[in-house]
Amino acid sequence: MMDLAVRDIRNDLSRFLLTAAGLGMLMSVVLAMTGIYNGMVVDATVLPDTYGGDLWVVQKGTQGPFAESSRVPALLADRVRAVPGVARTRSYMTLNVQHELEDGETLRFMLAGLSWPDDLGNALPLAQGRALRQPHYELVADRALGLPVGASLRLGRDDYTIVGVTSGMVSSSGDPLVFASVSDALRIQNDLASEALRLERESRVSRVRRSPYGRDPASLARAGSAAPLPVTAPPPVTAILVDVAAGSDVEAVKASLQGWPDISVYTIDEQRELLVRGVIDRARRQIGLFRALLVLISAIVMGLIVYTMTLDKMLSLSLLKLLGAKQRVILRLILEESLLLGVSAYLVALLIGELAFDLFPRRVLVQDMDRLALLGVILGLSIAAGMVGLRKALAANPNEVLAS
Amino acid sequence: MNERVGTSVLRLTGISKVYGEGPTRVDALRPTTFEARAGEVVAIVGPSGSGKSTLLTIIGLINPPTAGSLLINGEPVITDGVAVTNLTTMRRRELGYVFQRSNLIPFLNAEENVRLALEIDGVPAGQARGRARELLESLGLAKRLGALPGKLSGGEQQRVAIARAMIHQPSVVLADEPTAALDSGRGRQVMELFRDSAHAHGAAVLVVTHDHRTLDLVDRVLEMEDGVLSEKQPD
Repeated sequence: MMDLAVRDIRNDLSRFLLTAAGLGMLMSVVLAMTGIYNGMVVDATVLPDTYGGDLWVVQKGTQGPFAESSRVPALLADRVRAVPGVARTRSYMTLNVQHELEDGETLRFMLAGLSWPDDLGNALPLAQGRALRQPHYELVADRALGLPVGASLRLGRDDYTIVGVTSGMVSSSGDPLVFASVSDALRIQNDLASEALRLERESRVSRVRRSPYGRDPASLARAGSAAPLPVTAPPPVTAILVDVAAGSDVEAVKASLQGWPDISVYTIDEQRELLVRGVIDRARRQIGLFRALLVLISAIVMGLIVYTMTLDKMLSLSLLKLLGAKQRVILRLILEESLLLGVSAYLVALLIGELAFDLFPRRVLVQDMDRLALLGVILGLSIAAGMVGLRKALAANPNEVLAS
Repeated sequence: MNERVGTSVLRLTGISKVYGEGPTRVDALRPTTFEARAGEVVAIVGPSGSGKSTLLTIIGLINPPTAGSLLINGEPVITDGVAVTNLTTMRRRELGYVFQRSNLIPFLNAEENVRLALEIDGVPAGQARGRARELLESLGLAKRLGALPGKLSGGEQQRVAIARAMIHQPSVVLADEPTAALDSGRGRQVMELFRDSAHAHGAAVLVVTHDHRTLDLVDRVLEMEDGVLSEKQPD
């Protein structure tokens, strides 16, 4: 039996292709939504995945550093390192920077600290250049920042040189990541204008003069550790990363640290979970609902298209019935056309994805499973739409041919 | 000439059609008895609303009669107003249709429109293609096999429609005003084609027509008036 669906499509190919292109565009938005969500998850976990560490030590009572803000003293790294089973500790800190270039363009990025000299950034996915080689004035920046190796960036009161360029390193909010040593990051974070520094210095001198220890330094020695000392500790970091020694039990080390009253401890998996569940859950649900809405709209549009295509053929369908065509001939015609339309739309969606998703400012990560799932959804929609058309088609009356 | 010529291929006994009941009752077709033989072309004439189309749809197995019996090739199809066999299969195998407008399927070319009637009945595509080409070539359409209906003239479309109605060698071909859309010359050509095809394929051709210019080409003329079918005497 000749393929009636193919011949019908061939008869008005441009209309079919235009319809498929329109539907394909709609489907590409569904695919993009999936890719954007996947990209968000990957982007969100770039930092913990890059830094690694078995345990993350954060401020007591917080879930930081991704879920909420956390501040711990930088010297905490030394205390933690003394715990049995701990092989290495690293300071971790990030800060958001918005920097205006000379040409007026604004650079927005997240500055992340590398714990010099333990962590030079060798684990970063470098596309060009190298990792850090010195503790100051060097940066490794992501390609999304748009600055090449060798470019100079003035942050605070110092000039920093980009020595390496990474690929795909962005924060959970989509800003490119820039890596510097923790000490440089702290310097940039705590940079104050000269006037502010002068005022702060005057303020401290004034406070010391008002304090009994300032007027009589010997009273400090008399008071001992009970003296209410003004705190002059180094600037805090966000968290301390702990690498557990080979052969040691991560949970045992965690249990040891959890007994400390000034910190909270999480495994890296717990941090990832907190990040995905806490930070991007709302966005995930929003995208999920939007995607469901798009699928519903696609279903309605596709149903209407197939119904209209069926209406256009009603006389031919009546004629087929009059000629004694079996129901399956009509069923095949309608369903095959609907499926061909769906598959064509799917191919258009894939093509748009290949051509356009890389141009999106944020990562759009479409995986094979997503493509398969979309194919499944489209086949389901095609069959459902085909059923709508089929219901009309089976109602075709051979009498219509005589009446026409 | 086909060996079936002269044999009874269609017999109607007391076939009637009534719409509504009580005061709204309309006798669209009064009890009608009629027989058609293979090879003959029978014209059915009559004013609009006289019941011609009702008769055609009943013989075409599209519209069930209220009462009466219908036999095709001696096989009971409708008995006492009730179908006793698969009407779809009977339509597919025993009947051919030609309409005022050719009603070809617009997305199939001439050859495909004709071979469709065979393929619907399970004839292999290659065999169906060969037979369709042969028939269309015999009707002078050798160069128009691949043309879509929209590219064919009215006369060409009607010849394709006749080929489609004849290709599966049905017992009865029903034609509803087949010459109405054609000029006099082409109308006569179509009627001559019916006559030749009826003899060649051994089918009875029933033509509902208003076109009195072509009645000299038919074997019998039946007249329908107020639902009553009667043999029309030669003028």
